[in-house]
Amino acid sequence: MKQVYLDYHTAKPVDPRVVDEMLPYFTQKYGNPSSLHHVGDVATEALEESRKAIAKYINADDDEIIFTSGATEAINLGLIGYALKNKRKGNHIVISEVEHISIRNIAKYLEREGFEVSRVPVDQYGMLDVRKLERRITDKTILISVGYASNEIGTIQPIREIGDLAEDKGVAFFTDAVAAQGLVPLDVKRDNIHLMALSSNDFYGPKGVGALYMKKKYRVNPILIGGGQERGIRSGSEDIAGIVGMRAAVDIMKKEMDSEVKRFRQYRDQMIKQVLDEVPDSHLNGHPTERLASNSHFRFDGIEGESILLMFKDMNIAVSTGSACTSKTLEPSHTLIATGLLHEEAHGSLQLTTGRFTTEEDIEAAMKAVPEVVSRLRELSPIYDSKKR
Amino acid sequence: MKSTKYSEKVLDHFRNPRNVGTLEGDDVSVGKVGNPTCGDIMEVYIRIDGERITDAKFRTFGCGSAIATTSMTTEMVKGMKLDDAMKLTRQDVADELDGLPPIKMHCSNLAADALHEAIKNYRKGMGEEVDEEHSTDDAEPECVVGKEEFLGKGVWKAVDDPEDFRDLRTLILHSGDESVEAALELTDYTDRVVLLTPDEEIMTTPELMERLRNSKVKLLTESRLLEIKGEFEVEKVKIFNIDEDEDYELFVDAVVIIE
Repeated sequence: MKQVYLDYHTAKPVDPRVVDEMLPYFTQKYGNPSSLHHVGDVATEALEESRKAIAKYINADDDEIIFTSGATEAINLGLIGYALKNKRKGNHIVISEVEHISIRNIAKYLEREGFEVSRVPVDQYGMLDVRKLERRITDKTILISVGYASNEIGTIQPIREIGDLAEDKGVAFFTDAVAAQGLVPLDVKRDNIHLMALSSNDFYGPKGVGALYMKKKYRVNPILIGGGQERGIRSGSEDIAGIVGMRAAVDIMKKEMDSEVKRFRQYRDQMIKQVLDEVPDSHLNGHPTERLASNSHFRFDGIEGESILLMFKDMNIAVSTGSACTSKTLEPSHTLIATGLLHEEAHGSLQLTTGRFTTEEDIEAAMKAVPEVVSRLRELSPIYDSKKR
Repeated sequence: MKSTKYSEKVLDHFRNPRNVGTLEGDDVSVGKVGNPTCGDIMEVYIRIDGERITDAKFRTFGCGSAIATTSMTTEMVKGMKLDDAMKLTRQDVADELDGLPPIKMHCSNLAADALHEAIKNYRKGMGEEVDEEHSTDDAEPECVVGKEEFLGKGVWKAVDDPEDFRDLRTLILHSGDESVEAALELTDYTDRVVLLTPDEEIMTTPELMERLRNSKVKLLTESRLLEIKGEFEVEKVKIFNIDEDEDYELFVDAVVIIE
């Protein structure tokens, strides 16, 4: 049976065209950009070309891109690095209630380090209310963090409004753009973004590479100390093959994103309509229109997400859930809870995310499976039945 | 360890659960454990002849191991004496399934507890009249922290114009039929209306109950509103689950308390 993969928000395959461009950098062009000889020069050239391409793609300047070992490091560098650099200006940080888990945990870390963190609630669709954000800004506020879009429910935040507000208030605006990259056009100047985290894999590049966009005058303290690479902000010999891979992935994205997104949107709209029509007591999580083209997120009354996932696994369909039972902490998704769901509702969720290699047949397979799986699990469920009694 | 790393036996009982369903009759007893908050609810039904379990069935809401352990438990207890069934432990069930991932041992392995509950309920029914824990519905006034503070900032004492609640996640405290009618009315204005009562079900007229059942109103029974929170206006509430004796937070935009 063919493997159907509908979990693109969790991991993406590397585009084979990207791999082709990377290969020479493992065995032939293996130099270190810090070396002054020719072998080093080849590496320097690849590094700076990649920097330029990625900067251009998000409408930034070349010297505003810092390469990291992935989005998590870019997020750490952007948030912790900026907070430490600016702690004399203030110790207050504002984040949304639907930030990625890495940002939630960094916020907790910064609280232990003496910073104060305010959390802005979202509405039932997971959308942040800029008015509520504004009210939380004080003269001690140095940094705002709001993810561009939710990696779980796909809701896209009013980024430009937040950027304008931050600019207006003289507060730095950090956004984790990982879920949105490759699905919405990124423009840091248009949106007044000061700090932004990107991952290579979410452009269909290799894992283990990412970048922090850092606007001039919004400097961060390094969090890795070493040989002073990346202008002292991120030490460690650059992963040239990986960085070239990220650049190659961006080049492809530049050409193909528009048509790709159009295709994803069709899949999404078809899936949402079909599931809500065919499965009784099913609901859409996230915003009905302001959502990533790749994201469909449902919940079904009376059943639990890990069971859904296991049944899909038996049918060779890879999907995700916001259920507690699949998380390390056994807590349900904080994003679903922030939209106002009860724990029992958050447990019954199913996330289907499409990507570059998704086909019409994959969608058909999933759409055939959803009603089957839901009704099989509901037959076992004591609470679905009692709901109807 | 990956939480989905289950033994073949667990997967088999998950894929082909044995004894799904319910039993009826005077010789049947049921045990129910778990709560939706933690993600698992299990019901074990046993038919008893003298001191022996002759049949067992179950229904489970929960993850893979929750389903597999209840299925296995019903298999194990058929034909068992009640005294032996009382001695059946969670570990026995897990062992019979060739083990469970450690993280699942506590959260999703409650089937033995449900079985014991069923036996206790049976014995209670056989023996002398056991005093039911008397319910404390001596109408003590609701003491909600933040009620006065947020009046006009998301706390309402009446629903005069439902338009005020458009697209707001609204929590309504059940206080007579007026509150039920308000809840039903608001479903035309917002997707999210939660009606909360400390009782086991909403006390109202059969007609309103029927309308509630067919509506989008989310019922929260055996629950008390403890506190209303928010930085400047209502943003969330703290709710106490009486049955489970625990509290949790729920994000809402409006709270209606009709007095």
